[in-house]
Amino acid sequence: MNIGTRKILDRSFTAVGIGSIIVMALALMVVVVPIVSNGIGAVFFTGTVEHRKMLRNEFQRGDTQHLASEVASSERYRARVYEILGTFEKELEGMEPALKRQYTSKYAQTRTAIQALLGPLPGDTTPMLTRFKYGQTRWEKAGEKLHDLLYESKWDNSNSEIMGKEYFVSRSNAFKGTSLAPLFPYMKSNIEKILLPEFTVYWGFITDSSVDSHFFGGIWPEIQGTFFLAMGAMLFAFPLGVIAAVYFTEYARPGFLNSMLRSANSTLAGVPSIVFGMFGLAFFINTLKVSESKSVLAGSLTLAIMILPTIIRAAEEAILAVPKTYREASLSLGSTKWNTIATVILPAALPGILTGGVISLGRAAGETAPIIFTAAVSVGSAIGLADVFSSPTPALSWNIYNLASEHEAAAQLRHVQYGMVFALVTIVLLLNLSAIVLRAQISKKMKG
Amino acid sequence: MAEKSAVERSRSTVFVVSARKRMLNKIAKTAGEGLLFALASFVAVIVIFIFFFVARDAVPFFQLRGFTEFFTSSNWYPADEPGQFGALAIIYGSLMVTLGSALIAVPMGVAAAICLSDILPFSVRQYAKPVIEMLAAIPSVAFGFFALVVLAPLMQNSGGTMLMWAWWLLVSPFLLLAVIVASDLLTTSIQDEKRRHNRYMLFLTFFGFISVALLFTVGTLLNGIQIITGTNALNVSIILSFMALPTIVSVSEDALQAVGRDIREGSYALGATRAETIIKTILPAGSSGILAAVILGIMRALGETMVVWMASGNSSHIPDPWFNYLEAIRTLTATIAGDMGEADQVTGSARFHVLFAMGFLLLLISFISNFVSERIVIRQRRILSGQ
Repeated sequence: MNIGTRKILDRSFTAVGIGSIIVMALALMVVVVPIVSNGIGAVFFTGTVEHRKMLRNEFQRGDTQHLASEVASSERYRARVYEILGTFEKELEGMEPALKRQYTSKYAQTRTAIQALLGPLPGDTTPMLTRFKYGQTRWEKAGEKLHDLLYESKWDNSNSEIMGKEYFVSRSNAFKGTSLAPLFPYMKSNIEKILLPEFTVYWGFITDSSVDSHFFGGIWPEIQGTFFLAMGAMLFAFPLGVIAAVYFTEYARPGFLNSMLRSANSTLAGVPSIVFGMFGLAFFINTLKVSESKSVLAGSLTLAIMILPTIIRAAEEAILAVPKTYREASLSLGSTKWNTIATVILPAALPGILTGGVISLGRAAGETAPIIFTAAVSVGSAIGLADVFSSPTPALSWNIYNLASEHEAAAQLRHVQYGMVFALVTIVLLLNLSAIVLRAQISKKMKG
Repeated sequence: MAEKSAVERSRSTVFVVSARKRMLNKIAKTAGEGLLFALASFVAVIVIFIFFFVARDAVPFFQLRGFTEFFTSSNWYPADEPGQFGALAIIYGSLMVTLGSALIAVPMGVAAAICLSDILPFSVRQYAKPVIEMLAAIPSVAFGFFALVVLAPLMQNSGGTMLMWAWWLLVSPFLLLAVIVASDLLTTSIQDEKRRHNRYMLFLTFFGFISVALLFTVGTLLNGIQIITGTNALNVSIILSFMALPTIVSVSEDALQAVGRDIREGSYALGATRAETIIKTILPAGSSGILAAVILGIMRALGETMVVWMASGNSSHIPDPWFNYLEAIRTLTATIAGDMGEADQVTGSARFHVLFAMGFLLLLISFISNFVSERIVIRQRRILSGQ
């Protein structure tokens, strides 16, 4: 082959390699950036007067006087809306049946849209579910609901080759001539004065419990649940893993039994996470009966056996990295083998072991499949420390799935889902970052 | 009565240990080692327990319903009376997304590992490794959420355009290279300089036209595709490949590093370029390690639950045609996770046990692949050290 061609092939080979790494970095950014930017919106957003009302009633927070004056100001503008609605209802009563039928369903849609924006109208019975007791708490959602109010969506399925196209029909046209017609331009121009949006920082998202399955409130029970589960897993797995690693590096003699044990370690590392969950259900709950049904204890035990191989591997590497000279010096001074391990080797290997432990902690916090059957519930309040042996708990990882896929109002609660994912990813990435920093410090110490 | 000197006294108390104490020490030592062994063998005990307890709840299903229906029928209706438990479509779904993710992840992962071990300077490598570790650390449910909320609507709204861009970006560099190499290979035999150069240009333009035409036709074809549902096998394959990548990259890199410097230096000394050294000497030498890495990465993709549960569409049917990745499918892991909630109410029923049967199948596959990859690594180590 021509030398020029060979050079081109060489350069392009380098390019492919570097391209793969760039693609991985891009993938990381593409996944993390939307999560971060939308997740921040769970705490920092433009909130309406409905949000402040909700905070006052459900959590007893906020300045009562200021809120009262805001509500009064908002009511002044709402009065006109109630007036229009009342007038139209009377007009509807007096219509002929054909016309009445035509307008009734459209009016019902309009009324529901107004309720979604402003909350219960005067004369409505108090709703049972908290989510209907207030109007829109977030300004961007209010914008969407206003669009729902002003326009009706219809589907154009005329072209059979492509999927149906959505298009919008102005509602005020449908009510032209009736007394409802001025409602729409009035709402459009006065929505700001009715809902009074202002920039809100809602730290309660992290510290409050959820109200009415995450419609309002925060995600503290989930955060605490994840914390309990991960800590519990470390409590069981860390001592066991370090002791096993000490055995493998210091005491094990090459032989059939010990190679079997090492095989077992890597086999355990390869087991799919859902099988761990099934084992947890079949063994810890159904056979050992550590708890009657799901509980934090069973979940922690399941997570512990999942992260055990990682801890053993990391601890083994850390102990092997301790220079031989440490060991030889200690033994030459007359120390016994166990004393050497306990006072010289383990402290020297501790940073490396901690790095592995921190990474495993992140893994335990983020895993979902092992806790589906053993520890997780969808809704609940934060459990107390004494209940870990008997009661299940909400957890960030499980609740992200539940809120995004199984919740009946998943599409409306996107900001909560993003907030949860943001919290989980932050926790895991922070743990991993600290592990990386720790490792960099260790290698610096080892070199210098 | 001679008084013992200080030296004599100290000598007798320090260096003589009674026989009793020696035996106690020995007992303590063996007991301690035994305890350590017991604790360390916990790992093996757990593995045996997992195998036993999953098998224990899986066997009743095969006793009740036999093997044929599970492996050959696609009718999955466990809630019916009587239930039908044909898992063929589900097994096919699992294999489909695993294959899809392997097709994306293996070339990229091996290329990245080669890049990290041989091409990149040390300082850049220090920054590249944390990126890969971060990618590995992101929880699977976060990936699943991304696949469901960001990637699926994107695919549904502009899937054809995405495919077209991917086609253009990925294939055009390789086509360009192929054109250059082909033109070069076809003109090497011509001795006259000027004639060879002219012929070379001729071939270049000819092949160039063909490849551009190819790019355009396939590109427009792809652009016209309407992706009906964003939660499909392609979506899952892409995300799974990014989850398997870090495993493949790190284990492959270890394998490539284990191939010694002498092999590399010998190849360079004989005049090979870096690409030729890598392709013709290093890759073959590290091939078993890379194979082990690929097996581990594929196992990660096969055993993944949350991503497939959220973004595969969960439709238990074999796509039509069989290679259509744009249709919704269902995997073993998603079925176990999804059905267990209802099945658990009726412990003892075929519905409950069939899920354990699926779990046992997954467990068996993971045991076998782990065993195979270990054998490969041991064989490679023996070959490398034996030489």
